[in-house]
Amino acid sequence: MKKVITAIITLVIVALMVFGYWRAAQHHHQSGPVNPKEIIYEHLGDAYGWEIPFSHDVRIPLPIIVKGTDGWHCFLSSSITDGQTYEGYAIAHGGDHNGKVVQVLADGSQVRPWDFSVTKNVAAIFVAALIVALMVFSVRNWYKKHGMKAPRKGTALLELIVDYVYTDTIRPIMGKEAPKYAPYLLTVFFFILTMNLLGLIVIFPGGANLTGNLAVTMTLAVITFFVINLTGTREYWKEIFWPDVPLALKCPVPMMPLIEVLGMFTKPIALMIRLFANMMGGHMVVLVLMLLIFIFTGMFGAAIGGVTAVFSLAFTLFMLALDTLVSFIQAYVFTILSTIFISMAHVQPHHEHE
Amino acid sequence: MELFTPEFGLVFWMFVAFACLYGILAKFAWPFIIKSMEQRADLIDKGVAYAQEAKAQLDNAKAEADQLVAEARQQQADILRDAAKVRNQIIENARGEAAVEAKKVSDAALVSIEQARKESEKQLRQEVSEIALQIAEKVLRRNVSNDEAQQELVDMYLKEVETKN
Repeated sequence: MKKVITAIITLVIVALMVFGYWRAAQHHHQSGPVNPKEIIYEHLGDAYGWEIPFSHDVRIPLPIIVKGTDGWHCFLSSSITDGQTYEGYAIAHGGDHNGKVVQVLADGSQVRPWDFSVTKNVAAIFVAALIVALMVFSVRNWYKKHGMKAPRKGTALLELIVDYVYTDTIRPIMGKEAPKYAPYLLTVFFFILTMNLLGLIVIFPGGANLTGNLAVTMTLAVITFFVINLTGTREYWKEIFWPDVPLALKCPVPMMPLIEVLGMFTKPIALMIRLFANMMGGHMVVLVLMLLIFIFTGMFGAAIGGVTAVFSLAFTLFMLALDTLVSFIQAYVFTILSTIFISMAHVQPHHEHE
Repeated sequence: MELFTPEFGLVFWMFVAFACLYGILAKFAWPFIIKSMEQRADLIDKGVAYAQEAKAQLDNAKAEADQLVAEARQQQADILRDAAKVRNQIIENARGEAAVEAKKVSDAALVSIEQARKESEKQLRQEVSEIALQIAEKVLRRNVSNDEAQQELVDMYLKEVETKN
């Protein structure tokens, strides 16, 4: 029975591969040689509207909310994604605002309005938030309903992760303050983890490169920056502006304070870049491996392309597995570093020998 | 390079989404989950400690029971030995008492025999003296002329008396 199921699944996968290859070949005939750079950035970037699975042309319309020189506008993305102009707004092609909504002024120039559109990424963020909320509430409801009984199945897995992040990471670092900051840190962890994993699912509710987008990681890093610095103790600020070093290093020229202040900003920036680069890198490698098939097909013909497909798929599978691991690791690293930075901002006056 | 220039709209919505998520979870979910998890961890710790204690007590109880049994055996043996001792004692005592009693009885018998002898002696003497008196009477009545004849008579009567007795 198991063998039969495996065989059927394998057949379906192979059939899908052949179908996809055939579709891609047709596409290739229609639109000329592939442009890897364009494809990569299209996949990694944001979009107005969300492609439905296995189609490049049919998109789920999403609301576009802009504030231009003539006030607020709100309409569905389907009214401009095919190159039309709607209420004076269109999607720019080329130029400074390539792929973004611009306001076309009377003289034909294009201005970028305040863009609060619910793009694919924004929608995906809300999907991720919803999933996180559902997951966390499933654990909470288990405890509400079953009290001290051990959770089962999915809830047990979630509880295992919560336990790992809270009991094994946050509490040893934060000590007594753990319960106060744990909600923030746990939310960050699960939100990043969910966004990472959703990014790896290539079709509809997933497929948005969220944590590989600097805006997303920047927001998280800025929030962490504020949590660190707004809750810092007096000792923390004293160590920044009047650290415990020889006077010459801080009095006439404030060298150490300068370095410390710089450190305040490099910490969250490192958080931002690390998450962004790791996730974007993973996505990019997968995309490049996939594109190799089409590049080689274009250069050497279908036979070589077919052979490349086998190797590319094998490597892609490996990369995706690796990215799954990286998704966990990066979510964890972001959380643990945030924890450490926050607890470092809560230093108490020094005991000697420390 | 769209990837490296954060979009304002995305930052805004990301912040909104995160703030909402954090607000809801921090208010309704995380504190409860953390509290429950810690309570359960405590419960499990307590359970383990309790089980260990119970096991220790069980082991102790076994040892105590063994000790009790051993003590009981010891007591039993002691009691049996004492009982034997007491029995022997009783027998010994009874034997002694019986001997004393027997001696008393035989002593009493001896005394009564002595008394009876004395009594009979006394009686005998009385009788003898009576007989002597009678003899003397008879002698007096026969007017005995000499002492020899008197003595002969007396002896004759005495002999008579003795043979009578």
